[in-house]
Amino acid sequence: MLRITLLFLALLAGIRSNAIARQNKENKAEPVAEKIVKFGKVDPEEFNVRPAGPDSSAAAIVLFDKGTGRFELSERKMGFIYVFERHLRYKIIDKTAYNLANIEIPLFNIGDNQTSLHDFEAATYNLENGQIVPAKIGRSSKFTEHQDKNYTFKKFALPNVKEGSIIEFKYEIRSDFLYTLMPWYFQREIPTQYSEFDISIPDFLRYNISQNGLLKVNPYKEAVVQKFRIYGNELQGRVIRSVFRAGNLPAMKQEKFITTINDYIGKVEFELNGMAMPGTSFLDYVKTWPKIVNELRQTNTFGGFLSPRGEIKEVVAKVVSKDSKPDTIPFLLFDYVKKNLKWNHMNAIYASSKGPDDVLKKGTGNSADINLTLLALLREAKVDAVPIILSTRSNGKHPGLPMITKFNNVIIDVAIGEKHIFFDATNKNHTPDIIDFDNLNHQGLRVDFAANSGTWVNTDEFKTSKKVISSVLTLDKDNKLNGTMQVLTTNYEALARRNRLTEAQDRNEYIKQFSKENPGLNVTEYNVDNLDNPNESLFETIKVSIADNVESAGNLLFFSPTLFERTRENPFAVQDRKYPVDFGYPVEEVNRITIEIPEGYTLDKLPENERISLLQDAASFSFQVSREDNKISMVSKISFKKDIYDVQEYHDLRELFNNIVRKQTEQIVLKKN
Amino acid sequence: MKSTIAILLQMLLFLHAGAQEKYDVASIPANLLKNAAVVIREEETVYEVKNLGSAVMYCQAALTILNKNGESASNMHEFYNRLSSISDLKASLYDASGKKIRDYKSADFTDRSVASEGTMFQDDRIKYLEFTSNQFPYTIAYSYRVDYKGIRTYPDWKPVKSWGTAVENSAYVIRMPDDMTFKYLKSEGLSTDSVKAKNKTEYRWSCSNISALEYEPLSTGFSRNSPWVMLAPNKFEYDNSKANIENWVSLGAWMQELSKGMQELPETVKTRILSLVSGARNDKEKIMLLYRYLQANTRYVGIQLGIGGYKPAAAEKVSLVSYGDCKGLSNYMKAMLQAAGIHSDLVVIGNGMPSLNTRFASVNQANHMILCVPSQNDTTWLECTSPYVPPGYIGNGNSDRTVLLITENGGKLARTPRYVPEMNYQKRQVKVALAGEGNSSVSIDTRYGHAQFEEKLGMLTLGPAEKNKRVIQNLGIPGVQVSKIEYAQQDKDRPEITEQIELRAPQLLTRGGDRLFLVLNMLNREETALVPVTDRKTPFRVSYSYLDEDEITYTIPKDYKIEFLPENVRIISEFGEYTVGVTAKGDQLIYKRHMMVNSREYPPEKYNDYVAFRKKIYQADKQKGILVRSE
Repeated sequence: MLRITLLFLALLAGIRSNAIARQNKENKAEPVAEKIVKFGKVDPEEFNVRPAGPDSSAAAIVLFDKGTGRFELSERKMGFIYVFERHLRYKIIDKTAYNLANIEIPLFNIGDNQTSLHDFEAATYNLENGQIVPAKIGRSSKFTEHQDKNYTFKKFALPNVKEGSIIEFKYEIRSDFLYTLMPWYFQREIPTQYSEFDISIPDFLRYNISQNGLLKVNPYKEAVVQKFRIYGNELQGRVIRSVFRAGNLPAMKQEKFITTINDYIGKVEFELNGMAMPGTSFLDYVKTWPKIVNELRQTNTFGGFLSPRGEIKEVVAKVVSKDSKPDTIPFLLFDYVKKNLKWNHMNAIYASSKGPDDVLKKGTGNSADINLTLLALLREAKVDAVPIILSTRSNGKHPGLPMITKFNNVIIDVAIGEKHIFFDATNKNHTPDIIDFDNLNHQGLRVDFAANSGTWVNTDEFKTSKKVISSVLTLDKDNKLNGTMQVLTTNYEALARRNRLTEAQDRNEYIKQFSKENPGLNVTEYNVDNLDNPNESLFETIKVSIADNVESAGNLLFFSPTLFERTRENPFAVQDRKYPVDFGYPVEEVNRITIEIPEGYTLDKLPENERISLLQDAASFSFQVSREDNKISMVSKISFKKDIYDVQEYHDLRELFNNIVRKQTEQIVLKKN
Repeated sequence: MKSTIAILLQMLLFLHAGAQEKYDVASIPANLLKNAAVVIREEETVYEVKNLGSAVMYCQAALTILNKNGESASNMHEFYNRLSSISDLKASLYDASGKKIRDYKSADFTDRSVASEGTMFQDDRIKYLEFTSNQFPYTIAYSYRVDYKGIRTYPDWKPVKSWGTAVENSAYVIRMPDDMTFKYLKSEGLSTDSVKAKNKTEYRWSCSNISALEYEPLSTGFSRNSPWVMLAPNKFEYDNSKANIENWVSLGAWMQELSKGMQELPETVKTRILSLVSGARNDKEKIMLLYRYLQANTRYVGIQLGIGGYKPAAAEKVSLVSYGDCKGLSNYMKAMLQAAGIHSDLVVIGNGMPSLNTRFASVNQANHMILCVPSQNDTTWLECTSPYVPPGYIGNGNSDRTVLLITENGGKLARTPRYVPEMNYQKRQVKVALAGEGNSSVSIDTRYGHAQFEEKLGMLTLGPAEKNKRVIQNLGIPGVQVSKIEYAQQDKDRPEITEQIELRAPQLLTRGGDRLFLVLNMLNREETALVPVTDRKTPFRVSYSYLDEDEITYTIPKDYKIEFLPENVRIISEFGEYTVGVTAKGDQLIYKRHMMVNSREYPPEKYNDYVAFRKKIYQADKQKGILVRSE
């Protein structure tokens, strides 16, 4: 059965913070008439269905997809179970969609709680000489694979699948898991003609229902009275039936610079926020975030994880001395955790270990193990710190309703005077306020046990991450450029380079990789400052000799002045885009090059200076060249001042990149006297 | 006298070593740390054959992970299935000084199915454990036992499994009952110790003190640089099937036996086949018609169960459900040909693997099945799992290798066709109207053959948006607007794809003061320069031979004339041929490029010559022409 603590979850539609209210162009789904389709009854017209518009060459189309969800009382479970029925029909247009005819249904089991599959039926229909020829799935085409101790896959291979076939299947899943119900996706990688989800929820159970994505479907709702049976007894209760219908939905495809495509696919999700079993005393539905916070406080793997322990005291005593200034304490503990704990690359809001002592002993853990251990140490040292739970970019935007399962990570918020600083100790190269890139998903919930409150906070990254390359080079007789490049990086740009430096087996491997990415460049000396001092900018000094970049033609020498750091291609190749451009953080790239030209050459005309600023200077590019005696100096600067740009701003961004690419290919020409 | 001192010294050293922790990292000899990410401290596999159908394997190993690059080696895994079981799992983690940090329990091991995506069913499973440590270096040690109740192969011994792996000590032992025989191949210079015991003989191979190899690009492997032993039974029992695989003839006979009687087809299907081929003038046409029928009416679904890994599904069943794996589909095709009166043989092949070793028969040198229709002078090979390739085209991964035909007279070795550079072509004609200001317009016509056809095959089935994206990416021309993209397989019987692209581009000419610069090779440049390797150890090869021929005709803008054109380049070497030249004719520039690359195995010392060959091409491909205003 459900843990009793689940009963405390809130009902309330919830407080929507401004951070989540960031509007995307939402499409309100057109009302769609109900489509009734019987299994086995295929209309010959369906063989003529072809996707239209931008999806015209889709490999398949969903003709019909209907899900029905309801609850039954189970004698085995002594309570409710969830029954989900599905009926799905595809038209296969192209061979590349044949994989749709191999159906895989995962079933999850843990302990006594099970999911089981019933009444699976499937068939393929082909049109042969104007006749519909059905082929039902046979026994030998059904397989069961025990993936691991929790997952079993039921697999089915449909017969006689050809280009033009219609395939159809239906099944029922009976599930003991009530906390989150399987989400209903209206859309997928192929277009959908009709999608319907019909769910009936008895008043005994209350769910938070959220719709994320660019598509919003208004459900049709009705209240009915239903009888539930258990051990020959009848129980009567009100049931709310909600029917979501949508039609003619486009295919959804991945793009660059987005959080996750899942954020844009139309879907409905369900998380339980309260239940009152008939026959037991009626429990109040929980209403708000405070109840979630209270629940987190009591959970062993979250709040309970923080309770005082001897080991924690010892560590604090070891790391913090009497002479430590109070303001430095959080940083000392942060450094200690980063140095001693290794992240296992799993994100979680709940710890996987029994307590911080256990984590410190193992030296490794998930993000919650590590950051909650840090929190326990901070609290022991009397630092004002609270957890922030969040949903990572790859996990998608949190719907904003009090739904605990939509979070998947935790970081720490430390208050120093008026200032709030974010700590994420999962990587040695992180610094205060530099957290894992995947956490840059715009919002998080600050969990305050003392006040028993949860508050949405904006986690947008406002600091600009910079990369400044300054090169001083001399052109020699062999058309090689010799000199020094200095690369200064800050914040997330520095983090990316630090990660590369620390992930490389040794310095040589890093230099090798660096040379490989810059054809013709040969590193003769390499130095890096502040590598182990992530609070400072990373500073690399590289002595280089660059071949193959200055070309000669008769009595002319020419080269592209931006050398390697030029933007070769527009990352936004396609004309239109449905999703915002989400870089994660503001960025500025400056490339400064000074080249001394040899005697005997004169400079032909210089490229013109340019400056392009778009979107009220939120995105800009400038390029300046000048000469003094035998030196040419060039500065190219690209700046994106926002971490995220709306769909409406896409065309300007694309245009800016076109200009960058154009300008950076211009040549500097030297003429032999 | 001298030797006594040596012995005493050794004893002293030994005592000293004994005082140390066994897995102390400090005790690894310095020569083993060079280039290493992993050091195999000790490893021993003992494989004890009980009889034809059963065996036990005991494995134990200790590995030191020196740095991040070695982390992938820090797990223990072993495969099993319903005819084998893993037991006595033990594992421990040690710190740099060799002090034990923790023991793992059997609950720490994960047990899961290895069925991959695209495989409907496979009964192989894996047990594994990932060790984690927050500090390098660390040492992992583990041991386990596997009981086999069905034998197909004996495990091979390859102590050096990857780049960056050094070996302190590794050994392999096989115990054979005296009433059984087996065969083995071993690396040059490796000695075999054999000891007789009661009713059995024990064979042992070992190595020690092997330094790590640093990663080398394009390598064909390090089998010449490190010791190995390949073993195989002569007879075995597996899943109720008895096999004799002493040689390829007998191995083929066993497989023939497995597929015997699997070619029956229902009468209705036979009738359909006969009517399908009734108009055909000869066998070649019949083969083509039936192959097309197979492609249009079946799909590949991977199913591997027990002996089903070697035995095809009955053709009757495949005809009923219209799907199968490589064996099922090849055998179905064989059955259809048989119904049409054409004889064919199933073919055991290592797709993307080396050729079968002609003198060493074993079942683990192959992973795939195709079909061969033998003929005096026009043998046809058929890859039966692809819905797209023309009849007779078997793909780069199947070409030019030794394979086994399953015939009535047992196995027969044969060689699949080789695709020479002239077959793997890319032939391109481009017309460009250059504009001084604004957009230049470009039309590109390209034909891709064989291996290059295979690489472009995916374009035929992409949606327009995705195709557009891919084409723009491949073109690498900034700011391009594509107005036409067309891919077609015009002659369905030839492995050739045609591509037609029309586009407008604002930046084909780049400005430099008053001049305009034109990268003459606008579409097919060698983009990266390879880096020379000093003292390379392993041979190398490029993935396939090919021939690229490009011809671009530029019409230069009205008010401009040519100021400079680069000189012609001609490079000829054993790696291939490259010639490029540009000529001016009126207001036209004609650029021609011919590049042929041979895929052969080259010895390691030639690698830097190869780098130089590619570098010359890289430089020649960047050459620019210069235009100036004609006042």
